[in-house]
Amino acid sequence: MLTDTQRATYSALADVLIPEAEEMPSASQADVPMVWIDKALEYRPDLRDAFVKALETCEGQDPANALEWLNKNDTPTFDALGVLTSGSYFLNPEIKERIGYPGQQPVPAKDDSDTYLDLLSVVVERGPIFRPTVG
Amino acid sequence: MTDVSIDRPLPERADVLVIGAGASGSVAVTELAKNGFSVVCLEQGGWTRTDEFTGDKPEWELSRQKQWHPNPNVRQRPSDYPISTDESDVNPLMFSGVGGSTILYAAHWCRFLPSDFQVKTMDGVAEDWPFTYEDLLPFYEEMDRQMGVSGLADNPAYPEGEAFPLPPLPIGKYGKKAAEGMNKLGWHWWPGANSIPSREYEHRPQCLRYGACLTGCPAGAKASTDLSHWPKALDAGAQVVTGARVREITVNDEGLATGATYIDRDGVERHQRAGIVIIAANGVGTPRLLLLSKSPQHPDGLANSSGLVGRNLMMHPYAAVVGTYEENLESWLGPAGQSIESMEFYETDKSRGFVRGAKWNVMPTGGPLGMRAGYGGAPIDETFGENFHKNVKAVLGRSFEWGIIAEDLPDHENRVVLDPELTDSDGIPAPKLIYKSSENTSKLIDFHVDRAVEAHQAAGAATISVTKLMRDCGWHLMGTARMGEDPKSSVVNQWGMAHDCPNLMVIDGSVFPTSAGVNPTATIMANALRSVRHLIENRADQVVAE
Repeated sequence: MLTDTQRATYSALADVLIPEAEEMPSASQADVPMVWIDKALEYRPDLRDAFVKALETCEGQDPANALEWLNKNDTPTFDALGVLTSGSYFLNPEIKERIGYPGQQPVPAKDDSDTYLDLLSVVVERGPIFRPTVG
Repeated sequence: MTDVSIDRPLPERADVLVIGAGASGSVAVTELAKNGFSVVCLEQGGWTRTDEFTGDKPEWELSRQKQWHPNPNVRQRPSDYPISTDESDVNPLMFSGVGGSTILYAAHWCRFLPSDFQVKTMDGVAEDWPFTYEDLLPFYEEMDRQMGVSGLADNPAYPEGEAFPLPPLPIGKYGKKAAEGMNKLGWHWWPGANSIPSREYEHRPQCLRYGACLTGCPAGAKASTDLSHWPKALDAGAQVVTGARVREITVNDEGLATGATYIDRDGVERHQRAGIVIIAANGVGTPRLLLLSKSPQHPDGLANSSGLVGRNLMMHPYAAVVGTYEENLESWLGPAGQSIESMEFYETDKSRGFVRGAKWNVMPTGGPLGMRAGYGGAPIDETFGENFHKNVKAVLGRSFEWGIIAEDLPDHENRVVLDPELTDSDGIPAPKLIYKSSENTSKLIDFHVDRAVEAHQAAGAATISVTKLMRDCGWHLMGTARMGEDPKSSVVNQWGMAHDCPNLMVIDGSVFPTSAGVNPTATIMANALRSVRHLIENRADQVVAE
């Protein structure tokens, strides 16, 4: 579990990375610091140490400046923070709906050849394009 | 599951020992068991349940960057062995387990072309294969049926042959968009063949288009060999020992292979005797094991009198050209898998300044996180801030990739060796890769990337981005125990039998003299079938160790 201090630090950082813009909510408005980051850390326990390190590095500093420093001077730690924040954001079903991503749903394969056979006919008409076996 | 043969003791001496339960090993085990051989397979990984895959779960895109990453150095499972890549342009990708790398492969099901078997004759470079396309054709067609391949017949890029057993998978909106661009340019394209069933096939359900093929099919549809072959092999009496990490192939005073020493997951060293040993451990694992198996009879490593074990490593450098489009193409939908392919620039045209060519394939681009991995070091506001939202809106569902599989010509200096320091968790020396992409390959990729950009432009792309060499692209591991008729210039003969050790076979991609420019699994499995059938048909004359 993250401490209240860690969540407060993270909330400020996450909103720099994902602000409210383009008619989309910020990270904190999407419950990333309070809900979804915990799920993301559950799915990626290997990133926890880097995540905590990022919070410790940035605590008490201007979040934008701290992130710039981290990106330039400790790329692996910044990457861990970025992946976890983005991943947490997209775990929120409301966000998935707003970006129009219904992914990970079963869609039985249906033959769609009727939509392209006319396009394919010209490929067939041009004939073979391979070099046959010699000898 | 750690050992499916636990209810039945392993034979003290098996007729055949197969090392590796992946694409080629699965074929060998199944054929041999069906034909009455006692067969034991040693596999360092385990079984993977379909419900372990995350492609149908919320964590999919996070887990694919770690737990289901194809690079064993990233994934770092207990069953993985580390690979030194400091001196390699490309990272090798693989999976250890029953089914091998077919667990995570994209299932592009492509035959080599006739010219791929005659590179020396036609283009004056590298080596011809010791047999032709026509020799392998019946095995390709049988393997299509064994795997349940979906595709459309009469592709003008190939000679005539049997129709695929299943109709093609949908090419989707993005495949059609790509095809429209190719038609404007008058270039070849064809619906991609995939070893993914478009309809229920031999107890596997039809594809559910999760688009997660590269992280394991959560529907259990894709033809990974744990599903397509192992149930039949076990029914026929084969036994597989999982968690068995082979340390050495043992030999007798005559230099014949007598079995293998392995370490089980309790850390206990064991030995399995056999009359014949077949290695099917992929183009990195196989040379590693041969080099580990030094003896007075084989002082430079088993089957290595030519000095070619580990040499001529080929890995197919891969370029990706991604276009974004105004309309929603639903490009998260599978298969992934290839939607359509193109062989327009596959054959050699020396006026281009290089020889050989590449297959192109259209692939989907996944979900919203997939496109956001690895942006460290770039200015933050390029990928975060307001651009975070703008990029998602521009790219998600509106992009697709033309992937380019560049033929990799054999180079003596590209090789697998034993690392002097790095070891796996059992203390066994790890492999080290020394690999540089060639000048021919660089010219080839430059040309193909330029053409793929034109293909996206013709299709109406709004933006186009190019990655000329993906570092994590080494799926196709070939050439490190090449076949040929001359023991001085090859490791095994055309049937996979080692020149130096007449009861030792190699049947994986290691034996390929050249790499072609298409995905190799169909050829690996067809060649394995051809080799093992030859062994079975000539069993009366086969040398075995007692």
